[in-house]
Amino acid sequence: MSDVPVGGGEPQAPTPAWATSLERREHAQKLKQTRPDPGAPRVLDVDHVSIERGGKLIVDDVSFFIPKGEFVCLCGPNGAGKSTLLKAVMGLLEPTRGKVRIGGEPPERARHKVGYVPQRKSYSMDFPARSVELITAAVRGRWPAHVKPEERERARAVLAKVGGEKLLDKPLAGLSGGETQRVFLARALVTEPALVILDEPTAGVDVSGRAELLRLMVEISRSDELAAILVTHNLGAVAHTAERIVYLEAGRLLGWGLPDELLGQSSLTALAFAGTDHARHRDEE
Amino acid sequence: MDLITEPLSFAFMQRALYAGLAVSVVCAVIGVFVVQRGLAFIGDGLAHACFGGIAIGLYLGTDVENAVWMAIPFTVLIALGIGFVLRSSHLRGDVATGVFFSFSFALGILFLGLRSAAARPVNVESLLFGSILAVSPEVLNVVLIVSATALVVTLLLWSRLAYAIFDPELAAVSGVPVAALEYLLLGQTAVVIVVAVKTVGIVLVSSFIVIPAAAGRILGTTLARATMLAVAIGAAGAAFGLVASYHLDVPTGATIILTHCACFAVALALSRR
Repeated sequence: MSDVPVGGGEPQAPTPAWATSLERREHAQKLKQTRPDPGAPRVLDVDHVSIERGGKLIVDDVSFFIPKGEFVCLCGPNGAGKSTLLKAVMGLLEPTRGKVRIGGEPPERARHKVGYVPQRKSYSMDFPARSVELITAAVRGRWPAHVKPEERERARAVLAKVGGEKLLDKPLAGLSGGETQRVFLARALVTEPALVILDEPTAGVDVSGRAELLRLMVEISRSDELAAILVTHNLGAVAHTAERIVYLEAGRLLGWGLPDELLGQSSLTALAFAGTDHARHRDEE
Repeated sequence: MDLITEPLSFAFMQRALYAGLAVSVVCAVIGVFVVQRGLAFIGDGLAHACFGGIAIGLYLGTDVENAVWMAIPFTVLIALGIGFVLRSSHLRGDVATGVFFSFSFALGILFLGLRSAAARPVNVESLLFGSILAVSPEVLNVVLIVSATALVVTLLLWSRLAYAIFDPELAAVSGVPVAALEYLLLGQTAVVIVVAVKTVGIVLVSSFIVIPAAAGRILGTTLARATMLAVAIGAAGAAFGLVASYHLDVPTGATIILTHCACFAVALALSRR
């Protein structure tokens, strides 16, 4: 992987302040601007972060940043250090070296600025809860025994935004994979965060639902000018929607740049098509 | 009305009712969290750990009455040990509990065997099956104080505990001190179980934790409703079982548990309609 360019060699042209994220991306591609404008306001700043656990170096001197409104795909094979890095971003883990800043603040003081969509397998699936309670819990920071009318209205409005208004009073245990992730996306958006972390959000969702969910996430990120990190193994499905790719392997940052540029590299292409029909046909040949 | 007032005209039955209600209510509230956390087996594990603590107390020369109180720090340590293994390994709750269950019960048998031949014999049967009808006014006071304290602490932390049990990671992202809450829940469960062992015995105490909580969980569509139903089933089962055992002249602890089991069966049937 040493041949993967980390980019940033070209002089960075300033990006117009008025640009939407999509326009910024096209603008960056035109200028071959591999990395975001260093002068842009940064929502997330990962600065020379190393994380050791049990005497093992899991994340090794990783630096990148995400400006306002950028949709970034964080990818890499199993054991690359993605989840550990995410924990540091969410303030659940203190980096051994380096620092993480969210809107200029350490993560533990910027929790209200982060929305998190977890993997479907991570929570108690048989917990007696309805969507309205899950969304209200994100606002209160604790589980509600009773939901007030204004909290209910807020939950309804954010569910409507993700096309899940009818799910308001449904028990979580009875929802399909796609419906569940819509509710969790609403939960992440209800606090009006600056950064949304999407941790393998389409895992456990059927194929048709995946594309729809992904489209929804990108659309909201762009319309609300949210910075978003999507962690996924299925790079093929997101490579052309993400504005930039951050690629980790064995804890090291091996690529950070535009999808078209990085996907030309062999190991990233293998990751993009892993488990797809393309990969099966190629293996058969 | 004589069916209810006649048995409750006796002081020992009144004490049994108060103790039964206190233990069943606090166990039901804690049980909802314990069951949801996948630790239904922990009631059994900690009750047997309590036996290990009692045996150490007896070895050190106390009588059975006072040895129970010496069991509190031992059982709390075992509970925290289970919590530590859960958090620092990938083992499931039943495995971690099983290991500590075996360790503390074996330790209990070892210490009972180490007592001198001249030591007073121990009525193991009263330890195993308890005797709710023999609750003294002093023991009742302790049961009421411990139950009320545990209930207040759990209700104060209810919303944070619930969030932490639903998804520890999401709760931590929201600033909930997940690890501290989990250790507190386990430590509190240990204290409640030791006190409950005084009334219903080692073998039956876990039923107070698991059965009302499981029945409440079946019928409750939200955690708050599941908790209220568990409390109602736990308390009603304790009161009905106590009175029924008086009239039928059968063991009280077992009658209470069988009443809870009947409530569980009804809850299951209702949920399938």
